[in-house]
Amino acid sequence: MDPQSTSFPDTQRQSSWLLSSRRLLCFWLVTLALVARAEPPVASSEDVELGRRIYMEGILPSGEPLKGKRQEAVQVEGAEAACETCHRRSGMGSLEGNIVITPITGRFLFATDENRPLALVDPRAPKNLTRAHTPYTEESLAKVIREGIDVSDRTLSPLMPQYALSDVEIKAVLAYLRQLSSEVSPGVGDETLHFATIVAPDVDPKQREAMVDMMRTAFAQRNASQKVYSGRMRMPIDLIPRTLRNWKLTVWELQGAQETWGTQLAENYQREPVFAVISGLSNTTWAPVHSFCQQEKLPCLFPSVTLPPAETAFYPLYYSRGVALEADVLAKHLRDQGKNTPRRLLQVYRDNKVGRGASLALTEAMKGSEIQVENRVLYGDEPIELKAALKGLSSKDAVMLWLRPADLSAVNKAAPKQLPAVTYVSGFLAADNYDFVPKTWKSHVRVVYPYELGAKRQKNVAAMKEWLKTWQLPLVDEAFQTEVFFNLLFLTDLTSQILDNLYRDYLVERAEDMLSLDSNVSAYPHLSLARGQRFASKGAYIARFAPDGNLVADSEWIVP
Amino acid sequence: MSLRAALTLIIFFAAFFSPRPLLAGESNDGQKTDAPEYARALANYDTPDVAVIRQDGKKLSFGKELDDGRPVILNFVFVSCSAICPMLSHLFSKVQTKLAKDGQKAHMVSISIDPENDTPAKLAEYAKKFGAGSDWNFYTGTREVSIAIQKAFNAYRGDKMNHTSIILMRAKPGKPWLRVEGFLSPDAVAREYHTMLQQP
Ligand code: HEC
Repeated sequence: MDPQSTSFPDTQRQSSWLLSSRRLLCFWLVTLALVARAEPPVASSEDVELGRRIYMEGILPSGEPLKGKRQEAVQVEGAEAACETCHRRSGMGSLEGNIVITPITGRFLFATDENRPLALVDPRAPKNLTRAHTPYTEESLAKVIREGIDVSDRTLSPLMPQYALSDVEIKAVLAYLRQLSSEVSPGVGDETLHFATIVAPDVDPKQREAMVDMMRTAFAQRNASQKVYSGRMRMPIDLIPRTLRNWKLTVWELQGAQETWGTQLAENYQREPVFAVISGLSNTTWAPVHSFCQQEKLPCLFPSVTLPPAETAFYPLYYSRGVALEADVLAKHLRDQGKNTPRRLLQVYRDNKVGRGASLALTEAMKGSEIQVENRVLYGDEPIELKAALKGLSSKDAVMLWLRPADLSAVNKAAPKQLPAVTYVSGFLAADNYDFVPKTWKSHVRVVYPYELGAKRQKNVAAMKEWLKTWQLPLVDEAFQTEVFFNLLFLTDLTSQILDNLYRDYLVERAEDMLSLDSNVSAYPHLSLARGQRFASKGAYIARFAPDGNLVADSEWIVP
Repeated sequence: MSLRAALTLIIFFAAFFSPRPLLAGESNDGQKTDAPEYARALANYDTPDVAVIRQDGKKLSFGKELDDGRPVILNFVFVSCSAICPMLSHLFSKVQTKLAKDGQKAHMVSISIDPENDTPAKLAEYAKKFGAGSDWNFYTGTREVSIAIQKAFNAYRGDKMNHTSIILMRAKPGKPWLRVEGFLSPDAVAREYHTMLQQP
């Protein structure tokens, strides 16, 4: 290999650089494999790459699509036949209905009694573990893939297709499975499981403090309970290897311009690699964090952000699409107004990331409708500015205020005594601060409300309130704090599910599969994910003020 | 027990604790080992009177959709389901072709069990992917509606990951439903369908 050509690509040597960089990658893979595992014959990295294409993409070395057939049912082909669709990216499998899709990483296939790993196969039945079997050999593996007859001579569920793979292809798959999820992910120490949370600059210090305090309290509580727990080691269930590691939380505080966040994150990560990022807080963008998570293959679970990037990726998961979701909900609501459809929609926003993002999303969502959208940017802090932004309203208009409480509090000074137009407020941005609404307006103000309302809401959030009281933590912002609280509980569930199989991909997959199982302790009506879904809450209400001042639903739960 | 201790327990052990002694490899419940086969049963279900949305965005009465005079073949799917659903949908696709060849006009109905994700647009795309013709429709609606339909057909299992392969068929309104559960070939579905139509 020529190191010169790898470090200094230029246009003339593009192709040779591409080639050698591929070789460089191969070199690293082989080295890694050698370091990781001395025993089994080390497969060539080319095999691993060929295996990856079969496993992840359903493409054979020839470039032809992978084909699987089923005895009784129908064929599959290409991406749909890829092993990943069922055994998942981590190779740890999953569960569909009552059919267990078994883990097929090398650790599981070739395990002997001395080194047998264990995994839970059913989140609904915590006692249901993977079964022991005689270790597979290359031959028996070929047989199970080609004929659906496993190492114990059992005929597999017809869900598992049969693949007429050649010896070379089997070898490639085998090479891929051997290295797949073979080592625990970064951030997993012998005694410690490292997590981080991320705080962007310019967040409300009260919110920051509330989040960090809740997280530290829950981590301490969890670690204390583990001690009690590991001292109890009497029940056979205690013998199941699960992570008894202490959880450690680091807070990554970002500073300065967002262009520098990536570097800051990389430095933090270098100092202390973490297994996952839990929650997080930003009033502006989240895009640099999102990219960082994807790049480091780092699960970033459910930050509290108002505008997540629209492009989804595997590792970052979100509660919702934030203000972009509200924009779509409002657009759908306005389009369905029939004869009450406003002629013009005036949207008022600040000229910042979230304001621009929200207004763009709404403009986009209103495209093709008869309602004319007019943008009014709010500058400065004087009430007169807002007055200017709101002038010329009539009853044929509708207004959307993409404003936070600081701006909303000036609204009643700026607008007329009687509000001529129906005025919508962003629920995410208003964060349950509606004191600004004067009595005379109540009939005209609506909130695009992404959370649950009324008694159900009270029921959902009761657990958190109780917990805050127990630990003497303040209630600053209910909806936001339930996001943090839910996340902590969910993390507990997730880690107890994955046992000692501490692979980040597996964590994300479990999150995808388990989210709908959890009893809901968040302010959202319900949260649910599935393979490939990245936003757990998918709708919002249009809410109005009841005579008693409380918010009540004025629409169904709208899912755009 | 103090409230604090109680909460600790509830919050952090609920998922863990199993009183049943257990050793590695001992448990095998839930793991299906059978060779291909399926179960069939006749049942009467009351169609819930709910509003559904078809993949073309039309809001319709579910009851009317089922009672338009055609025989019905119904299943439950969702777009993000990667293992079972593609198989069920391929199966429907094959059945569609078979019935068309036999000159049969059945109404094939696929209900989304992940309605908030499966918007009409997503279902339309999914339908196209599986070559659904005009007699094969996909329906979504509110979460409550989807659950009501699943419950009405005794197919609700609490969450979508817990979903099994069920096919329901009915010759016409007022007749019982034939419920088949398990892995069927397109031939088997067509056979069951024809047998059902021949019942007096
Ligand atoms: C449509 C879903 C699906 C796809 C795609 C799929 N599998 Fe499977 N696979 C299963 C299921 C389900 C089982 C377990 C069946 C059983 O235990 O009866 C299984 C079992 C296996 C086993 C046996 C594991 C054991 O513990 O005995 C191996 C090996 C395997 N699959 C490899 C593969 C490979 C390699 C691919 C891709 C080329 C693949 N599978 C694609 C569903 C799938």
